[in-house]
Amino acid sequence: MSPKPITGGSGGAAGIEVALPHPGTSRPAGLTRFLESERLLAALLLSPTVILLGLFIAYPFVMGVWLSLSNTSVGNPGTFVGIHNFVKAWNDSIFQTAFRNTVFYTFWATIFKLTLGMWLALLLNRNFHGKRIVRASMLLPFIVPTVLSTFAWRWMFDPTFSVLNWLLYQTGFITTKLPFLSDGTYGMWCAIVVNTWRGMPFFAISLLAGLQTISPDLHEAASLDGANGWHRFWQVTWPLLKPVTLVVVVFSVIQTFSDFQLIYVLTGGGPANATHLLATYAYQIGVATGLLGEGAAISLFMLPVLFLVVWLQLRYLRRLEGV
Amino acid sequence: MVIERRWKRWVYFYIPLTVFVIGTLFPFYWMFITSIRPDAELYRSWRAANNAPFWTLHPTLEHFQDLMAKTSFPHWLWNTFFIACASTLISLFCGLLAGYALGRLKFPMAGTLGTSIFVTYLVPPTLLFIPLANIIRTFQLGDTPWALILTYPTFLIPFSTWLLMGYFKTIPKELEECARIDGATRFGAMIRIIFPIAVPGILSAGIFAFTLSWNEFIYALVFLSSPEKKTVPVGVVSELIRGDIYFWGQLMAGALLGSIPGALVYSFFVEYYVTGLTGSVKG
Amino acid sequence: MGVSESQIPSHVPTRTSRRTFVKTAGIAALAAGGIESILSARRAPAFAQGTKLHWVRWVDFIPESDVELKRQMPEASKALGAEVVLETINANDLQPRITAAVQSGAGADIFNFQYNWAHLYQNAVVDVSDVAGTLGKTEGGFYEIYPPSCSVNGKWLSVPHSIIGNAVAYRKSWLKEAGASEYPKTWDEARKLFAVLKKKGKPYGQTLGHTFGDAPTFTYTMLWAYGGAETDKSGKKVVLNSKGAVDSVKFMQAFWKECCDEGGLAWDDTNNNRAFHAGEISATLNGASIYIVAKRQKDKIKDDKGEPMWPDIDHAPLPAGPAGAYLLFLNQSDAIMKYSKNVKLAKDFLTWIHKTENYEKWFKSQEGYSVGPTKVWEKNPMWATLDPPLKMFRTAAQNTRLFGYAGPSTAKATEVFTKYIITDMYAKGVQGMSAEDAVKWANGELKKIYEA
Repeated sequence: MSPKPITGGSGGAAGIEVALPHPGTSRPAGLTRFLESERLLAALLLSPTVILLGLFIAYPFVMGVWLSLSNTSVGNPGTFVGIHNFVKAWNDSIFQTAFRNTVFYTFWATIFKLTLGMWLALLLNRNFHGKRIVRASMLLPFIVPTVLSTFAWRWMFDPTFSVLNWLLYQTGFITTKLPFLSDGTYGMWCAIVVNTWRGMPFFAISLLAGLQTISPDLHEAASLDGANGWHRFWQVTWPLLKPVTLVVVVFSVIQTFSDFQLIYVLTGGGPANATHLLATYAYQIGVATGLLGEGAAISLFMLPVLFLVVWLQLRYLRRLEGV
Repeated sequence: MVIERRWKRWVYFYIPLTVFVIGTLFPFYWMFITSIRPDAELYRSWRAANNAPFWTLHPTLEHFQDLMAKTSFPHWLWNTFFIACASTLISLFCGLLAGYALGRLKFPMAGTLGTSIFVTYLVPPTLLFIPLANIIRTFQLGDTPWALILTYPTFLIPFSTWLLMGYFKTIPKELEECARIDGATRFGAMIRIIFPIAVPGILSAGIFAFTLSWNEFIYALVFLSSPEKKTVPVGVVSELIRGDIYFWGQLMAGALLGSIPGALVYSFFVEYYVTGLTGSVKG
Repeated sequence: MGVSESQIPSHVPTRTSRRTFVKTAGIAALAAGGIESILSARRAPAFAQGTKLHWVRWVDFIPESDVELKRQMPEASKALGAEVVLETINANDLQPRITAAVQSGAGADIFNFQYNWAHLYQNAVVDVSDVAGTLGKTEGGFYEIYPPSCSVNGKWLSVPHSIIGNAVAYRKSWLKEAGASEYPKTWDEARKLFAVLKKKGKPYGQTLGHTFGDAPTFTYTMLWAYGGAETDKSGKKVVLNSKGAVDSVKFMQAFWKECCDEGGLAWDDTNNNRAFHAGEISATLNGASIYIVAKRQKDKIKDDKGEPMWPDIDHAPLPAGPAGAYLLFLNQSDAIMKYSKNVKLAKDFLTWIHKTENYEKWFKSQEGYSVGPTKVWEKNPMWATLDPPLKMFRTAAQNTRLFGYAGPSTAKATEVFTKYIITDMYAKGVQGMSAEDAVKWANGELKKIYEA
């Protein structure tokens, strides 16, 4: 029988929960009574987070919003211009390209990462020789600093020295060099490949953890009932993995949508803006051109899209676990 | 029937796994070969007859030596490690407390607060770094590791909070009730009962936080300026890409050496993490 | 303020006033610091005041020059009585650092500026007309490119430092095999020649990507060679959509397909150097770094016969189009930031750096990669000692234009530049867009910037 909290009224004192006396203990005194209160404890526990995030995100964010509503440029304090920057960005053909690219990039990279990550997680879930080493080594793409591994990929895709071209050429698949990064379409797919390579371990390890919580008894029961591997996956595994998957997908979408480093290092947004993303374009406008207000506005365009995607997924998640 | 099963195992398991392993690790092999390849070979044309991209007959350690001796690489390694550890600890601390509060305590605005912590994650660093520069200056943290140690948690805390919140939600309330009936305070129950159960969650949040801090680039680029204070990503890129010339050998050596601490942390904790996970959730 | 009797060392006469004591001790410390600093170039000398002057420059494409500059820092520290620190960062990282520093009001005291950044950051830098004016007067006048790019409304906002010239580096023997005894003088001749060379697998190579160095020097000059311009003389009206521009794009489309390494769309400023050194391309527009590096690393950079490549490299001026041959050079200058607390010190430092005996040492280490800010450096005996292929860089800075032509090079021109609109105009044309459409697109983008 759990004690019922007596709450009510507004303001401090009335919110204190009165615990029914437990057998064998005396009334908790002073500090401990303070810590017993759910509300006050919550406030205490949340305070470091709130302070840190408030200072280093909320405040800069508000300043960032102000920037986007002004015509500030480097060294010149701006004046309020309302939504002028947003309108200018919306009509900018490079912005439109960057926006389309970002959606395309995020969509395909996430799908690949999810499918491959899930597959890899299923494979790693089994017992085999060298399981530990393989599991650990699969994480390497995620561990290497992004900047450096992207340089390595850039070297592999290099227009002149690409080892991939060499390989394909020697094995007779191609007769002329593939324009990995010199062609707009190729360039985008190369970026997606690198992003998938880098992000798949994150999916795999999280889904693996989720898989490990599924009791093998469930699988046994299902196979006794006559289900084969494919069915078992869809009927047993997938429903139980949905919550974990959703959380992982949400975070991955956020990271990929606002990705900056990978494109900056791999292609710089080229050729001719074919691989520009919102983050790289915002950076180019804000820093290289010095138009901070416009750069901030472009960055902010990401927010509603992300918010919508995340909100939809969270609603779905809440439906799954709530009921 | 045994033969059939073995065939199936190969097709459905061994071959896909091998493909995954090769695909994932090939770039590392490539990085390794480049880092031990002498410069003369690095400059060769791809059509040269003796071009052997996959191996080298004259391996050399000169890139590694140059990297350690002629650049501040050891400093960068230490800086990045220190900053990553400190940010991870701070974000775990905040995330743990916040995750518990949001996951197990009832109080008004819980939902809103949870969502708003999450929403801060949506704000891109490419927007934040300019206003942040102002704050860093106000607190005079410029060119010190503290500029990063205090700003990294901004993207680490939301994720840690959410992960741990999820863990805490799955722990049955009865555990706490029992402890309190036995005389423990709520706070005591939190620390002694609940937190230990969430250790796998704490570890996985910690691992990801460490990795994300290690990888971060733009804040490190903008807030640090002295060469000895830089982190590995920024230092390697700024010192080893000198205008016209990329020192590929050293770049790749730097990439490999720069991954070692992370790999060590992972190999130590992942073991613990996976066994801990399977152990704790049974029953 | 109490220095008790017992604390004064016995060998100091107690009748000496405290002031003299402190002064002597201070001077002794300075001297000790100074001597030590000469002995070890690395260690920062310890000065009584603790003032630090922070100078940020790009990582020079000629590494030896950075070594020379860093060597000069302790000397400067001694001469000025404060610690001078030089930090070199990647050129692409200059702008984010400047932006963060300006917006937060703290950072390095002096930043290395490129092109016409003085216009871009005009409200964040200090008026340096005194330093620049004196320098110009004592050295016989700056090159024509400097006043428009480094001074705004008659005030010098950055002190000119050097100009990096560019020319076409080419393989003499390959051109000879294809029947050219000297580098083509017009673009049409070049087109014929390189079509032959491309068929032999030795194309011309250039980037059309988003780079700050090679791409603009190739594309803007192509536009000018055909008579195109971004704006009229007033700088207010956009005139890009003209026959000259369309012709230049048409030429580029043909030249690219017939003569160029088409991977160039993904190249950055280093790819053409590497491709040239690997023997993949026969010619490319670049600074003198290709030759200089090939010579300095002669045992690593060889031609296909196994011989060092550098004797086979020569330079030629950019070919001319129907409207002539024009050049775009990267001009460097140094600006003092307004937020700096050491403005006077910074000005003294810049004067010191440009003193003939100091500048000359740096200048010599460049081996012709840059020219000085003033014409007097053309007469420097170093030029006579250089290899023949480098000699043509001596008069490099004489006939250059800056972007924004034909109007003044203002912040709007910089916006066009940093958005790579002109470069993209050619990149789009080369990737399949019709020349007219590409020019129309670029014209539209320019209008949005100039006539917003």
